[in-house]
Amino acid sequence: MTETPAPVAVRLRGITKTFGSNTVVRPLDLDIRDGEFFSILGPSGCGKTTLMRMITGFESPTDGSVELAGRDVSKVPTRDRDLNMLFQSYALFPHLSVYENVAFELRVRRTPKAELDTRVREALELVRLADFGDRKPNELSGGQRQRVALARAVVGRPAVVLLDEPLGALDQKLRKEMQFELKRMQREVGITFIYVTHDQEEALTMSDRIAVMSEGRVLQVASPIDIYDAPASRFVAGFIGSCNLIPARLEAGRAVTSGAGAIPADTAEAATRGLADGAEVVVAVRPERVTLHADPAAAPAGAVRGVISARVFLGDEWTVHVDAQGLTLTVQVPSGETGAALAALADGAEVAVSWTTAAGRILPAVDQTSGDAAGATATVTAGPTSEGAAA
Amino acid sequence: MDRVVAWASRLVFVFLYLPIAALIVYSLNASDVNYRWEGVSLRWYAELFADRMLLETLRTSLIVGLLAALLATALGFLSSMALVRFRVKGRGAFLGAILIPLIVPEIVLGVSLLTVFSTVGVPAGFLTLVLGHTVITLPLATLVQMGAMSSLDPSLPDAAADLGAGAFTTFRRVTFPLLRPAILAAFLLSFATSFGNIVISTFTSGVGTTTLPLRIYSQLKTGLTPELNALGTLLVVLTLAIILIVGVGQLRRILAGGPDQT
Repeated sequence: MTETPAPVAVRLRGITKTFGSNTVVRPLDLDIRDGEFFSILGPSGCGKTTLMRMITGFESPTDGSVELAGRDVSKVPTRDRDLNMLFQSYALFPHLSVYENVAFELRVRRTPKAELDTRVREALELVRLADFGDRKPNELSGGQRQRVALARAVVGRPAVVLLDEPLGALDQKLRKEMQFELKRMQREVGITFIYVTHDQEEALTMSDRIAVMSEGRVLQVASPIDIYDAPASRFVAGFIGSCNLIPARLEAGRAVTSGAGAIPADTAEAATRGLADGAEVVVAVRPERVTLHADPAAAPAGAVRGVISARVFLGDEWTVHVDAQGLTLTVQVPSGETGAALAALADGAEVAVSWTTAAGRILPAVDQTSGDAAGATATVTAGPTSEGAAA
Repeated sequence: MDRVVAWASRLVFVFLYLPIAALIVYSLNASDVNYRWEGVSLRWYAELFADRMLLETLRTSLIVGLLAALLATALGFLSSMALVRFRVKGRGAFLGAILIPLIVPEIVLGVSLLTVFSTVGVPAGFLTLVLGHTVITLPLATLVQMGAMSSLDPSLPDAAADLGAGAFTTFRRVTFPLLRPAILAAFLLSFATSFGNIVISTFTSGVGTTTLPLRIYSQLKTGLTPELNALGTLLVVLTLAIILIVGVGQLRRILAGGPDQT
C-alpha cells in the first residue's frame, strides 16, 4: 500500500512442518514488514501456533527457511534469535519478583547494572506497573501478569515480539481495554508485533495486516478493511465477521440464484479476477449492508421479497432472518426508525431486502486454495455463517 | 457426639506422642534400669558420648544415609525430569520399574541384593549398604520430585530460552530454584528412610559397618540400656530442628508435590 514498503522483519520461504504423517503447515511464503502489527488469524488447529513456534525456533521447520532482518536463522537456536515471545500462559517465573522477571534477559546477557535498572524501569513504566516491581507474579491479577510478560518481552528491545493468544485468559471487558493498550504500546516501542489469535475481532481492531490461515495454508494477507470488505475466498468471508453466502451462477453478466433469480452482485469486479459467465459462485453479502424494507411495495427495483422468520433485539441493532425464496438471509437493522418500523411487524410479515451491487462480492463456490476442506467449515447451504468458525 | 470425637482425637494424639514423651523423660532417669525412676540426671548422656561402639554405628548410619540420600535424590531428579519433560517411549513402564521397590517386600529386596552382591563378588560393607539403601529410597525421591516437576508450567524453559538463557542458565536460574523445596524434601525423606532401615542393612552391612538400628536391635537380646533413651531424645530434637528449619507449611506443600510459589 505504501510507495516504498518498509524493510522485511520476518521472511518465510516455503516453510513446512510435518509431524509424522500429519502436515500442520503446508509450504508457505510470508513477509512481515518492519514495525507492523501483523496478525495470524485462524481457527484452532489451523497451524498458526506451529508457524509461530517455527519463527521463534521452538520448532524447526521440516522444509523451508526463516529469515530475520535478511539473515537466515533456520539453524539458529531460539536464544540467539532477535525476538521474544509472549506466552499464552504468560510463563512468568513464579519465584522471581516482577522486577527480576523483567530483568531476566538483561541479567542473562550481562547488561551493566545502571543500564539494566534504567531499562527495567522504562519497561515497567511502559506497561504502567512502575510501582509493582517488588510483587511476586501470584500477587497480581491476570491483566497485570500479562503486562509483566509484555514488559519482559520488550525490555531487550528485540526486533520482533510474538504474542500467542495473549488475551485469551482475560475477561471480556479487560480484553477490550487491552486491545487498545497493546496497540498503544506497540506504537510506542516501534517493535514488530506478530499476533497469533483465533479471535477475528482482536485481529481486526489491532492489526496493520492480517494473514488468515486454515488447514496449514495462508488464504489471504491484507489489511483488516480489505480482509473484511474484499475477502478472497469463501472461507475468509465466512470466518471474519458474519456473512451471507448465497450460491449463484454467473449468467450474462448477472449472478442468478435458483430460487430468487438475479441478485445484486459486483460482476464487473469479479470478471477482473477471472470469474466469468458459467462459473459457479457464492455471493457474499455482509448483514449490515443489507437494507430491510418493511413495506415491500416501496422497495427499489431488484429487491428480493421474503418473510421474517426470526429476529433478535441486541440493543443497538436487530438481527433479522428473512426467508427469501429458498434463501435464508441475515440482516442487521440499526435500532431507530427502521428498527421501530420492524418492531411493529409480526414474524411472518412480508418484507423486501436489497443491497447495492458493490455490496455483493462474488467468490468462487469452492475455495481454490484449500479445496473442499474449507467448504466443510464455511456453511455449504445458503444460510449465513454468523461468527464463522469462531472457536 | 462432637465431644466424643474431640476426646477420641485427643486420645490418638496421646497414643502418638506418649512414647516420645516417655523416651525424653526416661533419658533423664538416674536409675540403672528403664523401669524404675530414681530422680533426674544427665548420666546417660555422659555414658552415651563415652560409648565409642555406639557412636561408631551412629557415624556409619549418618554417612550411609547422606550418601544414599544424595544418590537417590540426584537419580530421582534425572528420572523425573526425563519422565515429566520428555515424552519418553515406554514412559509408563519406566515409571513402574522405578516405583516397584516401594511394593516389593523389603526382605525380598534384601535377599536379592545379597545374592547379587555375592555373585558379583562385592564384599559386604559400605558400598553395598549405600547401594542397598539407594534402591529403597529412589522411588520416594523420584515420586516427590516428579510431583513438583509436573506442576511447573511447561513453557517456563521455553520462556527462559526465548530470553537468551542456555540450558545451564535455565537450570540454575529457573528450574532449580523452583524445584529446590522438592529436592530438599526428597533428600530428607530418603535420609530418614535410610537412617531407620533395618532389613536392607541386615543383608548388606559387613564387619565394621554396623548401622545404628542394627546395633540397637542386637541389644534387644542383652537388654536395652537407658543410654538409648538419651540417643533417641537427641534424634527427636534433631528431627524437630529440621522441621522447624524447613518450615511446617513448606514441608506439607512439598510432600504434597506443589511447586514453590513463595
